[in-house]
Amino acid sequence: MPKDLPRTLALTITALFLLYPLWGLASPVGRWQWGAADASPALATSFALTGVALLIVVAIGTPLAFSLRGATRAVRITFEAVVLLSVLMPPLALGLLLALAFGPGTALGSLLLRLGIPTSNDSTAFVVTQIYASLGYYLLGAAAAFEAVPRELEQSAALLGLKPREVLWRVTLPLARLGLAAAVSLAWVRALGEFGAIMVTAYYPHGIPVQLWVDLQDSGLPAVLPLLLVFLLSALPLPWALRILVRARGHA
Amino acid sequence: MLECRIHKARRAYDVNVEFVADAERLALFGPSGSGKSTILSCLAGLERPDAGHIHCDGQNWFSPPLALHLRSVGYLSQREALFPHLSVADNVQFSLDAAARAHERAWIDEMRERLNLTTLWRARPHHLSGGQARRVALARTLCRRPRLVLLDEPFTGLDRPLVRELVTILKEWQERLRFTLLAVDHDPLVLEGLCPRVIALEEGRVVQRGDWSELARAPATPTLRALLDLNP
Repeated sequence: MPKDLPRTLALTITALFLLYPLWGLASPVGRWQWGAADASPALATSFALTGVALLIVVAIGTPLAFSLRGATRAVRITFEAVVLLSVLMPPLALGLLLALAFGPGTALGSLLLRLGIPTSNDSTAFVVTQIYASLGYYLLGAAAAFEAVPRELEQSAALLGLKPREVLWRVTLPLARLGLAAAVSLAWVRALGEFGAIMVTAYYPHGIPVQLWVDLQDSGLPAVLPLLLVFLLSALPLPWALRILVRARGHA
Repeated sequence: MLECRIHKARRAYDVNVEFVADAERLALFGPSGSGKSTILSCLAGLERPDAGHIHCDGQNWFSPPLALHLRSVGYLSQREALFPHLSVADNVQFSLDAAARAHERAWIDEMRERLNLTTLWRARPHHLSGGQARRVALARTLCRRPRLVLLDEPFTGLDRPLVRELVTILKEWQERLRFTLLAVDHDPLVLEGLCPRVIALEEGRVVQRGDWSELARAPATPTLRALLDLNP
């Protein structure tokens, strides 16, 4: 028996196990109803609001992750524990907690409402929920990307006369970019696919996951599968390719 | 002119040294752990002395500590630390903006020729051998003509002919560009070939200064004698 046969078998079986659900797209559920419901509002909602959420996540998370490098070990461990708590939170629990914390019945929720910022069933609630769902993933990925940049290269750049800001732009960010891209892709998938928390906090406007649920309830699988296919084809290729590229280059 | 007085507390013993060097090549020689690399790190700004002062060409580097990027210093060790995302050409010219690259064209061309980098000019660092990478690092260190060049065992692991060649080139360029060069190496033959003057260190203190013949004729301590005898 070849030495690597058990490993090859194990990898193959696991890969087939993971890919098997895609076979569901070929299930005999009847003729796909491409025009059963207009999916474009859900697509527009999901992509536009996820884009906004992701911009905010990157804008907040990148400098924060970078600043973690200079923090003491105690600060890092404490902060990472908090971030992990948000990452490990079950989505439905997150939604319920967000509703309880930001809902119109709370002091904060009513204050925001008076300021014209609705905290449920609104684009703002949708984006805020996505930020809560994805920020932790981005922070952990970005922090690992920055940590992987050798300090001696940054010191070399400084010794060659570069100011700290120039070191960041010419050495740190270029060397961390693949890891950062992987973190962005993870945050993107996490935010775009968020269902449990969004169901509670922002059932309206419908994003793709909620629309899929609604279509499943109202019209059945033949109406759901076209939107599901569009969802998969539009949401997955970019982060999937980024992740493969990152691994191929030996980062993350 | 480099004026240096450094006190740096360490676990085993403190480093306490004082010396002056002026547009010359000076070797720091001594057993492992005698504080040679600590001195270079303090001069480069990678470590901070606990007390003392460092002046270079009228500029105060310590104390207060001057930021790394404001020191005109080149630091070369056995770890080349080349930027993996840049070509050899961009590594060498990393410290220069577009205008400076144009202004220094002749100097860059000379380094490229003398250090045999022409065929490697567009290559990425991961394609280079150890010796090639060390030559690129040397060119990058000297490209912006630093006032002080620190060599922390940069010849370790290189074959003898290449070391001889690099020593010859370094001597020639130091005499022409008039920078101050401080070198540390485990091999006194390399140091002797590069630096006419030597400061001998032991347990963080200067135990002898002078030229190599004085050191060989009357080493100040048994440890120095043993070190020199081990490397006849």
